[in-house]
Amino acid sequence: MIRHIVRKEFTDLLRDGRFRWCAAIVGVLLLVSLGSGLVETRRAEAAHTAARETARDHWESQGEKNPHSAAHYGIYAFKPRLPLSFLDQGVDPYTGTSVWLEAHRQNDFLMRPAQDATAGQRLGALTAAQVLQYLVPLLIILLAFGALAGEREQGTLRQLLATGISRRDLALGKAFGVAGALALLLIPAAIVGSAAITLGSPGPAATPFARGTVLAAGYLAYFAVFVALSLAVSAWVRSARTALVALLGVWVLNGLVAPRVAVDLSKSLHPTPSAVEFARTMEREISTGVPGIERPDRDETTARLLAEHGVETVDDLPLNAVGVYLQESEEFANQIFDRNYGALWNRFERQGVVHEALSVAAPLLAVRTLSMGLAGTDVEQHRHFATAAEEYRRDLMRRMNGDLAENSRAGETYLATEDTWAQVPPFQYDAPSLGWVLQNRALSLAMLGLWLVGAFLVAGSLVRRAEVA
Amino acid sequence: MMLRTVLRNEWRLLRADRALALVLGVFALLFAYALSNGLAWVDFQEETLAAAREGNAERVGNLEAELQRIADGGQPSSPFRDPRSPSVLGGAPGAQTAVLDPGPLTALAVGQSDLLPYYYDVSIRTNESTFLQNGEIENPLNLLVGRFDLAFVVVYLLPLLILALSFNVLSGEREQGTLALTLAQPVSARGVVGAKLAFRAILVMGLALGVSLLGVLFSGGFGSPGRVALWCATVAAYALFWFTLAAWVNGLGRSSAWNATVLVGAWLLLVVVLPAGVNITAGLLHPLPSRVEMITAQREASNEAVNQRSELLARYLEDHPELAGGVAADEANRAALAWAATDAVNRRLEEVTSVHDERLGAQRTLVRRYRFLSPALLTQEALLDAAGTGDARFARFQSQVREFSERWQTFFVPAILTGELMSVDVLPTLPSFRFVDEQVQEVRARAVIPLAALGGLLVLVGAGAVVRLRRVTGP
Repeated sequence: MIRHIVRKEFTDLLRDGRFRWCAAIVGVLLLVSLGSGLVETRRAEAAHTAARETARDHWESQGEKNPHSAAHYGIYAFKPRLPLSFLDQGVDPYTGTSVWLEAHRQNDFLMRPAQDATAGQRLGALTAAQVLQYLVPLLIILLAFGALAGEREQGTLRQLLATGISRRDLALGKAFGVAGALALLLIPAAIVGSAAITLGSPGPAATPFARGTVLAAGYLAYFAVFVALSLAVSAWVRSARTALVALLGVWVLNGLVAPRVAVDLSKSLHPTPSAVEFARTMEREISTGVPGIERPDRDETTARLLAEHGVETVDDLPLNAVGVYLQESEEFANQIFDRNYGALWNRFERQGVVHEALSVAAPLLAVRTLSMGLAGTDVEQHRHFATAAEEYRRDLMRRMNGDLAENSRAGETYLATEDTWAQVPPFQYDAPSLGWVLQNRALSLAMLGLWLVGAFLVAGSLVRRAEVA
Repeated sequence: MMLRTVLRNEWRLLRADRALALVLGVFALLFAYALSNGLAWVDFQEETLAAAREGNAERVGNLEAELQRIADGGQPSSPFRDPRSPSVLGGAPGAQTAVLDPGPLTALAVGQSDLLPYYYDVSIRTNESTFLQNGEIENPLNLLVGRFDLAFVVVYLLPLLILALSFNVLSGEREQGTLALTLAQPVSARGVVGAKLAFRAILVMGLALGVSLLGVLFSGGFGSPGRVALWCATVAAYALFWFTLAAWVNGLGRSSAWNATVLVGAWLLLVVVLPAGVNITAGLLHPLPSRVEMITAQREASNEAVNQRSELLARYLEDHPELAGGVAADEANRAALAWAATDAVNRRLEEVTSVHDERLGAQRTLVRRYRFLSPALLTQEALLDAAGTGDARFARFQSQVREFSERWQTFFVPAILTGELMSVDVLPTLPSFRFVDEQVQEVRARAVIPLAALGGLLVLVGAGAVVRLRRVTGP
């Protein structure tokens, strides 16, 4: 019996001009957004690869220099685009794309693409993720709002139930009918998406297929929530019109109101310092140290080294005390950076948790966080890259200071050769694993699961109690 | 006479309708929430600027004290930070903070103010790469989503309120069977719809404009009445657009359900889909040039500059003979050599930036053309411009900072080249920065285009409504 319902619903939808039009529009938008995302990602990654090579070339060909001058010269790191970022550009336009790794300082990421765009462009670009998060649920609502309320209004619900089919089976049939119609849209999009992944979207390997599969499952769960919600409302309210209005209200709350409420709520719960305040605190701590993190003293370092080696003057030391001191100041500054930047990143993450927690009222927030996480474009993966770049900077400084300490002596003019630069391994970034991402996104996953179970339970109970007329 | 009866009747109906009262109440709450967010943001910006100014005063105070101490026979605390040296006093230790106060109506529209820098430390080290710096510290996730401010409520949610109130002004009467009765009175369908919509427009606009003015009052924005008027005109024009659209759809003579579907569809298309579609088309056809190449250019320029400092100084002095007095290229001091290198890098950066800015400007012009497709984009632009948080005011700030940094350089460079030492007397004569804000005329001149386009749409839809409603004679 269910099969008949499914087939009837499916055929009905396909014959419905409104569905055909809406589905065609959403389908075209989905394909266009996939294509443009891929083009844009490739363009950006090509530019970054070129810049990375040039940056390395600059580093290697800087000629004979004192290692500390080379450390000041430093190297630029460019943030790679991960393979799935064409689906969801996430926060990428709002994080910088490159960072200067130099001596003594941990720099900020500069050049946020959004800073070059206009205010109008902040109203949202149509990425595949946006289509999936906003437009597909709308399509589902349009498909399903009349499923039960419409039959009731036309008086056909009584006839249907007279055939002996249970309300549950009827609702399931309707749900599968809607799902079938949606599949006509989503399967081609999924094929195009996987083709794009196979064709090799750029960026460091990050198990794109596994990520893509989880991403697809997440979106399917999100769509299922909307199917169940639509049926629940359709069973609950009297007229199809009321069902549509109520569902559109849910859509507006979910897509427009809740995300922005989350922004201001997260800011008032976990305020971030102003850039002025942040810079001042850091400057103060660097110049004076904080309890437990003492600023190294050049004379003390020298005295300690003299004592360790049992010699009287720096000329007798088997190493250059300046190199040792420079490394000690690096390590001191690193602790200050970790303290301040760590606190800031933690704030950002706590703000992110507010967004995720509010998904209790709006499933969009859960699926969006999950989607950005899997696409590798969320704040946490930006931090992952920033941390990797900073680790590389610290290693670079250790090597430069080590070279200075070992190969030069106090007071002499020491120039290291070009080989020294080439010996520094290039910066290699490995994107985090799928497990890492999922662990980060556990709250979103749980919320999405909760919504799925909750929506189905509510739909089940409302359908069972649905009135016939 | 008759219309007044219609209005009085509508007022009684609305008062009796619980659901409508609830919707209006919810909107009042949303407005209040949006306003409180905007006010909190203005407070944050003002506190930040106060801290920046205080930091600046402290820096100047310290320099003054040290200069005084040296004048009294003391020694500089560090040979590398001797404030008498013009490259120290004009450099980072003596930098002056140039600030942009929040736009007069920032409490109503946060706009670009959470993304673009609103203060810079200007010194002789200031160059084009200074303008690459980030603005305020902000979670990128929050930047992505945007704020819940009054501009958001007006652009996205206000149309929904309008549509909920007016999708069935005529069709509802017909469905209840009261249309024939009403039209039997000496009124036209046009008059009835007009009166009913006018009544609703007074309610909605009263709410939107009332909350806006309240926000202006709280944040002290009445200092620029021209901007307030522009804001109110934009809100009114946008709201009227949706009312006339509802009137037109009602004039088509379909059912209330059909009206609701079509109007919500129009909202979706104009407010959600078109702006996003416009952005993706613009991004695809006219991609913004990447800034990455600027880094490469800067590196290459500084590599060269470091290697050929003395040549560069000689060339610099040839280009600026007026500065050459007292400096012979061969006996140049270290600071002069360093300046020559810095200057060469700056020139190269300016070249790269100007090429980049030209391309960026061209793309932006193209992108901005697409905004005529959506009244939501036009309204957002006019609202931000009125609030002083749009792109134009930030661009103006940046160009004034650029100009100021040139004045700063002109002040210090001759002393750097001649190796002259500065004293405490020089402090009061330093160039200082004050942002010259836009004149209301300028803002108005810019806003004319989006407002005229919005008005044009309004007239078009209004004419359609009048024509359709004239044909309505009865059920």
